[in-house]
Amino acid sequence: MKKGKIIMTITIGIACFVLVAIMFMQFKIVNETDITSIEVMQEAELRTELSNWKEKYEEANQKYEETKSTIEEYKKTKESNEETSKLLEQELEQVNMALGKTDVEGQGIVITIKEGDTDEFNKISSDDLLIIANALKLAGAEAVSINDERIIRYDMASINNNTFIKVNGQRILPPYVIKAIGNPTYLESELVGSGGYVDVLRKLGHDITIEPSDKVLINKIKEDITTKYIE
Amino acid sequence: MIFIAILIGCILGAILGMNAPMISYTYSSYLAIAIIAALDSVFGGIASVIKKNFDLKIFISGFFGNAILAILLTVLGQKLNVDIYLAAIVVFVWRMFMNLGTIRRYYVEKWTDKLTKKAEKNTKIEGKEIKSEVNNS
Repeated sequence: MKKGKIIMTITIGIACFVLVAIMFMQFKIVNETDITSIEVMQEAELRTELSNWKEKYEEANQKYEETKSTIEEYKKTKESNEETSKLLEQELEQVNMALGKTDVEGQGIVITIKEGDTDEFNKISSDDLLIIANALKLAGAEAVSINDERIIRYDMASINNNTFIKVNGQRILPPYVIKAIGNPTYLESELVGSGGYVDVLRKLGHDITIEPSDKVLINKIKEDITTKYIE
Repeated sequence: MIFIAILIGCILGAILGMNAPMISYTYSSYLAIAIIAALDSVFGGIASVIKKNFDLKIFISGFFGNAILAILLTVLGQKLNVDIYLAAIVVFVWRMFMNLGTIRRYYVEKWTDKLTKKAEKNTKIEGKEIKSEVNNS
């Protein structure tokens, strides 16, 4: 009976030992988590808090995505704007070249016309030069000049009192040098052979040479071509 | 004698518990329910000692079995999203009060017995005087 009592006492002591040990471990855990004040809140509270934060996070994320897409859109517009401006610049360059506002260079032909000793009637006139220029244009010349005066319209050459020729308002003297940029073979074939105008002039006794060249330089127009009255 | 054992157990347990490594906060709810179960078992053990029907097998199986069952119920509750551990706590605390009631009644009765014995001793002396006074009047 006494033995049983001792065993009973020891058992209860061990049980108390285990219980208090676990209790103190738990106290420690609760104390440690006290810092974050999590233990004050109920689980449900924490849950709602968590869901709140999740919602906030999602909102922020959505906003972030929206902003991102907006920025991308802006970027795209910017790029397209740049593209447009590049295209416009290219176009402007082309137009400028076509208009003769810039010096241009390229393969083409150079025609030199030396007047022969002919009578007054068969002299080289502004019409002859214009016909040649026109023919060159028809053959695909991209730029034409007469004595370094750029021809962009065909009313630009005129004759004054049968004495001298004016191109772009500038008096030009023989020998006349017509430069054209384009395919040299095409340009030459338009002028020579089968009724080409150069042949006609040659028959009249003028000395005309046609040289194809890889580098023909044509100056820009010197005349001011801004409009005054067109609105 | 049993109270000395409890005291020693508590002191040693406190020393071990304070020096024990930290357990993750996730497991603290299981630990808490185990503590309640063990506390109930200890009170039950003390009560049974007082009632003089203490059984070692029942005490040890109750001590560990109740704690493990409570932890398992808590795990199940978390898995099912039902707070089963509340039911466990209610049952354990209710039993704790019952056992505490038994212990309390035992000691209060013991105390009152002592008091009544003392009072009887006094009344044995005083009673005669009162009796004689009553008889006289």
